[in-house]
Amino acid sequence: MTTRATGTPPAAAYGGEAAGAAPAAQVRPPVDWPPHSPKPKSLRPQADCTADTAGGITIDVRVSEGQAAASGMARAVEGGAALLLRRRGGGEGPEDTVRLPLGPAGTEGVMRAVLPSIMTLPEGRWDAFLAVAEAEPQRLRSGLNDLRSLVDRVPRQGRTWLGVRIPYATKYGNLTVRSWLRWPHAEAGQLHVEDGLMRLRGVLFGARLDSGARIEARPRDGGPAVCSPVAPEVRAPGRPGGRTAWKTGAEPEAATGFTAELQLAALGPGHRVWDLWLRPDGDAGPVRIARILDDIPDKRLIFSYPPQRVTDAGGERTVRPYYTLDNDLSLRVCLSDA
Amino acid sequence: MHIAFLINSGYGMGGTIRTTYNLASKLAEQHDVEVVSVFRYRDRPFFDPGPGVRLRSLVDMRRHSPHYAGDDPQHALHARVFPDCDGRHPQYSALTDRRIGEYLAATEADVVIGTRPGLNAHIARQTRRGPARLGQEHLTLATHSARMKLMLRDTYPRLDAVTTVTEADARDYRRILRLPGVRVEALPNSVPAPQVGPADSSGKWVVAAGRLAPAKRYDVLIRAFAGVVAERPDWGLRIYGNGRERDGLRALIDELGLYNHVFLMGPAHPIEAEWAKGAIGAVTSSLESFGMTIVEAMRCGLPVVATDCPHGPGEIIRDGSDGLLVPTGDVPAVTGALLRLMNDDALRQRMGRTALAASARFDPAHVAARYEDLLTQLVNRRGATVHRARAALLSGAYAAKDALCARRIALQGGQA
Repeated sequence: MTTRATGTPPAAAYGGEAAGAAPAAQVRPPVDWPPHSPKPKSLRPQADCTADTAGGITIDVRVSEGQAAASGMARAVEGGAALLLRRRGGGEGPEDTVRLPLGPAGTEGVMRAVLPSIMTLPEGRWDAFLAVAEAEPQRLRSGLNDLRSLVDRVPRQGRTWLGVRIPYATKYGNLTVRSWLRWPHAEAGQLHVEDGLMRLRGVLFGARLDSGARIEARPRDGGPAVCSPVAPEVRAPGRPGGRTAWKTGAEPEAATGFTAELQLAALGPGHRVWDLWLRPDGDAGPVRIARILDDIPDKRLIFSYPPQRVTDAGGERTVRPYYTLDNDLSLRVCLSDA
Repeated sequence: MHIAFLINSGYGMGGTIRTTYNLASKLAEQHDVEVVSVFRYRDRPFFDPGPGVRLRSLVDMRRHSPHYAGDDPQHALHARVFPDCDGRHPQYSALTDRRIGEYLAATEADVVIGTRPGLNAHIARQTRRGPARLGQEHLTLATHSARMKLMLRDTYPRLDAVTTVTEADARDYRRILRLPGVRVEALPNSVPAPQVGPADSSGKWVVAAGRLAPAKRYDVLIRAFAGVVAERPDWGLRIYGNGRERDGLRALIDELGLYNHVFLMGPAHPIEAEWAKGAIGAVTSSLESFGMTIVEAMRCGLPVVATDCPHGPGEIIRDGSDGLLVPTGDVPAVTGALLRLMNDDALRQRMGRTALAASARFDPAHVAARYEDLLTQLVNRRGATVHRARAALLSGAYAAKDALCARRIALQGGQA
């Protein structure tokens, strides 16, 4: 069994960029603690995930003969086994637990559960367990995740929400599903930093851009935002590696490409972390800019941008775009003499 | 047949361990197979040895274990049987000398297989009369130091067979070491069929995987990709793996302004799901004793662009048919080969299909069958040739001694 997370996780577990320089405001997710009374790893059942293009996931739980005996899998077939998803840091309530029935997958020793694309799964990290009859649910090991259909995901048009789920192996090898639930959504694409300027191309889903559209950099610890106009693009920009360009057009639900530029010197030295939002028009609510439409559960270490040096009356500092633990786009300001 | 593999550690995550388990588990379908790990640092092996494969260890290094042997006074003494030219020598000791020796003197196996030069030396020197002795070379003779080559020359005549992973290396062994009475065979590493379906080649990712080590020359690949992006900005490059070159490669990506196109992905396990997301595999090493990742990519249906470095790539890829070979270190040639495949969908797809079919020859079933043939022959001829082999040992020893002066020049080709 797994003990639910309490307290502060060890910092080393998330030792990302600029270790030690991370601002106190940065939120770390509850950690996936290792099992306290570990069953031998190989005796724990393993799950393979296959993602489909619509956002659904098929989860095959593999149980070998020895494991079947150990995990009571034989009983499971008759007794009704289920795949349990528990939101990390959540309570025991129904909103933090999802129970998916496990049925035969057509292969001996394999049981299948489906997380359908039409089901909404609130944002968060969902730990996967095998629940058999009355026994304590067992944490599932992560096996082979075939996520090729997520590599450049094109959200289905005509929805009123966007659900993204990326299964991944935790650092202890357990299966967790990272979920986002957003609408409208501003997806970050190519990002360039040069000459004191950040230029971002992206795609907006579920909202229209009007002439008052702007990008907003907001200090995480509060304070006035720095704004800059956003230009719509006739063609949504593709991303390197993309199979298809995002569909754009006149329909209200269609995606809209955008380009935004931000003068990095405008981000004063008084705040360390600035979160990036897109405000599609004068009245509409702001949309957090994130990168979630691909197969990478954690962007921080993979999407890295060179720091830009800025010098003005506020002193010398470097500004660097980065993805947060939730894959939202932010900017970090570091004082050079600090 | 009772087959025993002797390995430095069967609990870690190296390439030798993986390929040994691939082979062992296949052989275990027909034979009695054990893997004897000199050291044990973990409770459980990182890779599953496979059904029917027994894993045991000789020196328990787990501090919490009641059999912990790390504080044995003998373990503080330098190894003498394990040769000091093998890079693992500092880990070995009088204790490992004794434990390995005791195991080899008592083994019930019909054939004992060593997996690195130092252990092959143990097998040559300490195996009791009876079992056939096979030494595997997972690297290459050419990259061994001159001292290592002299050691191999002195000890390998007491083996029955030496296997290399390429024909080129087998030729080096025959030509440079001239081991009398010892069979030298090239038997490639095996790669099982992936558990995911093959890539459909419609994506626009080039995928590379391996330790971020200097010999992998990922700097060549990244520089070559700068040329690619100039013409095909719709393609990207993913490099999987970790290693000490990471920071340097990161800086190179930023310097070339490729941070929207080239990504250091970190390690991935299992890697096959990542190959399946790609459309082209890439290897730009300066040395590949075999080229495991080339085979892995091909087994997922990717055509691979690889440098024709010593020794593996040229024996895996048939240039122009199931992949492309380019001169080692030649950045424009790598760019050109990648663009050729990107700009010709039909060619890329055809090569991908050919690669998928051609790489089946590295299936553990095929490689294990070739091993089985060799092992059966060694075991059968063992009784008849035991005396001759011992005679060969003596003459070999003298020959080696005589040859030392005369041959030193030939042997000194390698890296120190």
